Amino acid sequence: MNEPAKTWSVPDSLIGKRIPKMDAPDKASGRTRYIQDLEIPGALHGKILRSTRVHARILSIDTSAAKALAGVHAVITAADVPWQRPIGVGRDHLPLKADRVLSLRDEIAAVAADSEAIAEAALKLIRVVYEPLPVLATTIAASAPGAPRLHPDRPDNVAMTFDYAQGDLAQGEAESDVVVEDVFRLHYVTHCCMGVSGVIAEFDPSGNLLLYSNTQVPFLHKREFAELLGIDPGRIRIIQPPIGGGFGSKLDIYPFEPIAIFLAGITKRPVKLVFTREEEFIASPTRQPVLLKLRSGCRKDGTLTFRDVETVHDNGAYTSWGATTPFVMMQTISSLYRVPHCKYRTVAVYTNNPYAGSFRGYGNLQATFAVEAHMDKLAEAVGMDGLAFRLKNAQHPGEVTPQGMHFKSCGLKECLTTAAQRSDFLRKQAENRSRWNDPDPVKRGIGMASMLHVGGGAKIYPSDGCGTILKIDDFAHVTLITGASEIGQGSETVLAQLVCEELGLPMTAVTVVNNDTDITPWDVGVHASRTTFIAGNSAIGAARKAKRKILEAAAAKTGNRIDELGLAGGFITASSGEKLFELAKFLRSLHFSDKADLVMTSFYYEPPSRHQDKQFKGDVSAAYAWATQVCEIELDTETGIVRLLKVTGAHDVGRVLNRLGIEGQIEGGIVMGQGYALTEDLRVEAGVIRNPNFRDYKLVTAPEIPEMDISFIETMDGEGPQGAKGVGEAPAICIAAAVANAIHNATGTRITALPFAPENVYRALHGASEPPVWNAA
Amino acid sequence: MLRAGDVTVLAGGTDLMPQTQAGRLRFRPVLMNVRRVPELKGIAEDNGVVRIGALVTITELLDSALVRERLNLLWQACDHFASDQIRNAATIGGNLCNASPAGDTLVPLLALEARVVLAAKPNGTLQIRRVPLAQFLLGPGRSCRGLTELLAAVEVPLPGAGFVGEFYKHGTRPGLDISTISIAAGARRDGAVLRDVRIAFGAVAPTVIRAPRAEAALEGHRADAATLEAAVQAALAEIHPISDVRASDWYRRELIHNMLKRVLTHVCKL
Repeated sequence: MNEPAKTWSVPDSLIGKRIPKMDAPDKASGRTRYIQDLEIPGALHGKILRSTRVHARILSIDTSAAKALAGVHAVITAADVPWQRPIGVGRDHLPLKADRVLSLRDEIAAVAADSEAIAEAALKLIRVVYEPLPVLATTIAASAPGAPRLHPDRPDNVAMTFDYAQGDLAQGEAESDVVVEDVFRLHYVTHCCMGVSGVIAEFDPSGNLLLYSNTQVPFLHKREFAELLGIDPGRIRIIQPPIGGGFGSKLDIYPFEPIAIFLAGITKRPVKLVFTREEEFIASPTRQPVLLKLRSGCRKDGTLTFRDVETVHDNGAYTSWGATTPFVMMQTISSLYRVPHCKYRTVAVYTNNPYAGSFRGYGNLQATFAVEAHMDKLAEAVGMDGLAFRLKNAQHPGEVTPQGMHFKSCGLKECLTTAAQRSDFLRKQAENRSRWNDPDPVKRGIGMASMLHVGGGAKIYPSDGCGTILKIDDFAHVTLITGASEIGQGSETVLAQLVCEELGLPMTAVTVVNNDTDITPWDVGVHASRTTFIAGNSAIGAARKAKRKILEAAAAKTGNRIDELGLAGGFITASSGEKLFELAKFLRSLHFSDKADLVMTSFYYEPPSRHQDKQFKGDVSAAYAWATQVCEIELDTETGIVRLLKVTGAHDVGRVLNRLGIEGQIEGGIVMGQGYALTEDLRVEAGVIRNPNFRDYKLVTAPEIPEMDISFIETMDGEGPQGAKGVGEAPAICIAAAVANAIHNATGTRITALPFAPENVYRALHGASEPPVWNAA
Repeated sequence: MLRAGDVTVLAGGTDLMPQTQAGRLRFRPVLMNVRRVPELKGIAEDNGVVRIGALVTITELLDSALVRERLNLLWQACDHFASDQIRNAATIGGNLCNASPAGDTLVPLLALEARVVLAAKPNGTLQIRRVPLAQFLLGPGRSCRGLTELLAAVEVPLPGAGFVGEFYKHGTRPGLDISTISIAAGARRDGAVLRDVRIAFGAVAPTVIRAPRAEAALEGHRADAATLEAAVQAALAEIHPISDVRASDWYRRELIHNMLKRVLTHVCKL
């Protein structure tokens, strides 16, 4: 161990600087030990037998041959765990299915064996006899009179409904000079985390459970697993190894986790259960597929009058977070632009399809896709350009929307004008239009879309808090123990940065501990773009406590007031900038006194927000993030290929903390949005996924990544840590909407169904597609 | 080893390994790694014929000046082949033996009238037979290579001076994709008329195919818009695309129509 150098070179402020991610060297050099790399002595390997039928009664399961295979320690079915309870957001399915399977992913049996190969071989020896049942492959089939019930307590196969209204729709319609209506169809995509799902479960002799888990919500999961096992949550410890991507996929509890726990309990051995890539495609959640009907109106002068939205969500066989995406969708419908009269209704219908979870953007990609298409359409109808029309209806700081959201800071107008100016939007838009009838089959298009998303936490649970423990050792090294989970987004770096900023220390002086529920303070989980905002404020709170304590001790020595002292460059300094004490030395002297109480605790609960009431009205976040993205495309009308050439984005991020980190978040989000718009398409036909592999499920690859021009609009949010807002989800939200508007600008054709894969676009351009039609349940 | 016949041959492994992992192919009792057999390597021209050893990787083809300058149609296809990593491992022999109707190198090789060299050693003496590519390929994943035979090389006669070719591959993305359709077309200008017209397609039939009627519509003709359209219409009668997870048969026909016309326009410099 080296003692820190006597003087540190620290810039005046770390805020806004380009700081490399703390975990980058390990990840880049292959040293990071993901759950796949963890070898627990004595661990068995778990594998799951999944249904081969989409909808069927299980008549019998014969596991005798599998049990007899050498190296097999346990083969379990629902019969072995009669005490199991339904899991998931809807508490509507058992980890191991007892008498009926409702989708192709359904878990029927599981094996624990000495090796993965033996476990695989054992699965092949299990004989299941099914009696086929009619497959409900669409929401229409599931809503038809006489359709079989998928869940006994849901006679109409309706999983969830949402109804929201503000103002008076009839009045809004009456005041409208223009009304437009379209039906939009949004498809299945899935997260494609590079690190596939996995868990290691282990009981100690006293029955305490240790889980190595990739979850995004360790503290909430403790409670869910405890409920499932009927034990005290205090007896469950969750350790998160470095997680290879989350994007919302790891917010719910999924059957593989209880199954690994069952196997560990029965074999009294640690059990490691890690998905194959095919399994990840088949058995991890999707983004919510949606059919959406939107009617919008405005006056001749461009003032929005009303929006009327109906959506049908294909819920799949079970209810996870996907069913609750209307919470976010209705915010975009009601509050992205000022619109006085609004109605929103969603029905989520059970089918035999894969079920949807939460996914970066949480319904907002779908809602924004529809709303922004209509912003262009209405603008055109009243003869305004898209920018002026949006500016006329844009929210401004201080607005409290009819849904109750309070925009204390709001940079939407700056986002709109910045993105439009930097992309030369209006000139290019006119130029592209003038080329519709050119002989050149390759057209150019430009399109814009904006978004609104929570950026200051989200009141989804009764609390949105996060705790921090901070200790400083006698070499002035800081250990930051935070409840916030790192899933690759860079939270540990930004939290360390915020602490260093307060304490005048370099990034090398901080270690972050963030992955063990026995050590870290409580946190609600990594979701809703909340970590920088909530955990950042919590970390700042702890650092400020430490600073105060240090300066008080220094003041006692020097006779200064503490506001005359500061921490900078590893020194305690006077207001003149004079270095009074080297911090490390000073702390050592404290450690040899009785005043060395240098362990701080703090917490942050975002204060000024309020839960949605039964009518979905409320102010769910302490701050809201805004963005405008302009997409430029090239479209070959003879092949239907759409190439995304350039994205010009302007993001209201409150304030840039780590410039390198925020650029990475935004670039990654744009590429994820690009995949949603152009290439990614989980092909579900009659409940079967046709492309559970990276050959036929097309992620965006490096040559397709567009040029990006990103501007940061710094609105300095009053509640944000150093003025910052959350930005994790924002960049993925607008792309599909902006590309849709660009396709219209290139060709005059408006396509309302995703994805814009070549054949789909070609069909739409040549009148050979089936545009979405409304067939509400 | 090969004589017994129950052998799986491993070269680059870029098709073999994913296929066995996915359970679509089973290893035979003997897995024979041929990667270090020097006789199966190398690119050389002799008397107007380029011999490309079966183990030549796609990257080696791309790096070869001979291939780039004299077999440019093949070189273009290699440039569209999967990704850098796969091109470093994948061999031309493997691409041929995999006999995919969408195989990237197969389409230009068919247009260039290549033949494969099959070697066997049934009783201690080496036996060689040469089979035109069109006869070598029997169907998706099927070729006429016998169980005791090894594909040793592919031989490509050099096209005549002035031959110009263009390869077009359609996929959802520029890299790491399997052809929805592919086209290799080439011709030589003889004054105002076209000679040595060669057109081949991938992913529109059970094997890669030539389009003899489309070629005939151009051979010896002036390259004008009407002739091109006639060739394209002839081609549409020669293809039998299917609908699968990548595209519908209708869309494949539309692509052949639009893109053959575009490729021919470039080739004929209209």
